[in-house]
Amino acid sequence: MRGRWTDPLLRYLLLLAILAALVAMAVDLDLAPSRLLAGVDKLGRFAVAMFPPSDGGDLVRILRSLAETFAMAIAGTVLAVVAAAPLGLIGAKTVMPNKVLHFAFRRFLDVFRGVPVLVWALILVTAFGLGPFGGVIALALADIPTLAKLFAEAIENVEEGPVEGVRSAGLPPMAAIRYGLAPQVAPVWASQSLFFLEGNFRNAAVLGLVGAGGIGFELEERIRIFAFDEVAFIVLLFMVSVAVLDTLSRELRKKLA
Amino acid sequence: MSDAVAEFEERRRRLLSRQRLQALVGTALFSLLLAYAFHRSAFFDSHIGGDPLGRIADFLQRMNPDLRAEALFEDKETQGSLAYWFYGLPRWLKLAWQTFEMAVLATVLGAAAGLLASFLCARNLMPIAAVRFAVRRTLEAIRTFPDLILALILVAAFGVGPLAGVLTLAISTMGSLGRLFAEINEEVDPRPLEGLRASGASLPRMIRYGVIPQALPSYASYLLIRLEGNLAGAAALGIVGAGGIGLELQHAIHYVEFDTYLAILSIIIGMIFALDLISEAIRHRLIGLARPK
Repeated sequence: MRGRWTDPLLRYLLLLAILAALVAMAVDLDLAPSRLLAGVDKLGRFAVAMFPPSDGGDLVRILRSLAETFAMAIAGTVLAVVAAAPLGLIGAKTVMPNKVLHFAFRRFLDVFRGVPVLVWALILVTAFGLGPFGGVIALALADIPTLAKLFAEAIENVEEGPVEGVRSAGLPPMAAIRYGLAPQVAPVWASQSLFFLEGNFRNAAVLGLVGAGGIGFELEERIRIFAFDEVAFIVLLFMVSVAVLDTLSRELRKKLA
Repeated sequence: MSDAVAEFEERRRRLLSRQRLQALVGTALFSLLLAYAFHRSAFFDSHIGGDPLGRIADFLQRMNPDLRAEALFEDKETQGSLAYWFYGLPRWLKLAWQTFEMAVLATVLGAAAGLLASFLCARNLMPIAAVRFAVRRTLEAIRTFPDLILALILVAAFGVGPLAGVLTLAISTMGSLGRLFAEINEEVDPRPLEGLRASGASLPRMIRYGVIPQALPSYASYLLIRLEGNLAGAAALGIVGAGGIGLELQHAIHYVEFDTYLAILSIIIGMIFALDLISEAIRHRLIGLARPK
């Protein structure tokens, strides 16, 4: 393995080939330098228009939307956790001893892992009507596969002793889960759930782009009419609130660990 | 003796009641928060109909393509065939390829920018604390900013098309990889760096000979993970007009073709899944390389 790449000529040829492929891709996507320059010029004007940031006299409405966004994030995360918990149990090797079923289930989760929130939201909002309902479901759907996988791994990593102890005392399997498994798994799951909540504070902001309400909707409206002073205000407000919520969540996670 | 027991009992009782109170207040607060969240997000509002399960069933039924066993492999003019369901396949595949190209270009550009930033904010390489602080805060701000909001602004500036999408993903890649690369830089074995510093090497030389040889496999591994994320991200960008296959999703919704949505969604899922498998295989080899011999 080492010897093959030490030949400098070969290495330069490989680099050249990669570079050529990248340029070909850029050409295929029509990424012309002239358009880049024109855009940068426009972006500069946007940036100038952002100062000073202004709430446009709509502070109450903006704060309401912000609250709605964070509410959607919390509701979506809770739904995801509730759904991922049984899936995580099923997906854990130690709970589901059947190898074929375990493998099939994990792969099934993997398939849906990559689908972005907005792709779920677009169709769910169309199906369930404008408003946060579809957005909440979309947040949950996007999290469930990854969360279930993490939950399952947390179960697989527990100490077997307490579980075996409860089981050997002759108690039913549910008791083994409740008294052997849960005390070990709960802090890990809680910490992971908080981590996903932090992510969803950000993800929920984009749901408005497809009509699910919240701060994203307010932003889209203002970007469309080039009201960049208000865009700047909302973005700053959002970033500060996310930073505060992140800090809270991080403190909580530290306590759990 | 009995005094000590009484005191012990008293203390124990107080401790228990305090713990109970804490648990109660915690649960109450959490329930209030939950109730507020579900109320605020209009989760149980009536306008989605008094029959949410019925709506879900109706929606699934409309998403279900009209396939007939006897016509499954007919051409796309025949109703009920696979080709009829995937009627836009050539265009979709072309757009899927474009989406992949966007992800690759954005990952490379973002990783290059992130690499530069990572040297500027690594404790063991950048001696000026103010520079480290400024770069770290910038990267953090980028990570807080939702990609699609950025995409919306960039589409307004650069026009509808892949350019805005590539820039969006490149910027967000820079934010996340910059930080991860900085962590890798700080974890390299300090001895080669000290040797170089002692022999009077400049910063670029220290990076080239002291950091990169150790860090390259880890860089590549993170780059590949990010490429997976960017492919998924690029698939969503089209929804806000920033190029790629998301545009077709938007069209399908516009014409209320839920079965078409499912077809395009399955192409996206297939594409992401395939890249995941390839990238995982490469990453496992890279981890083997990174292990000290």
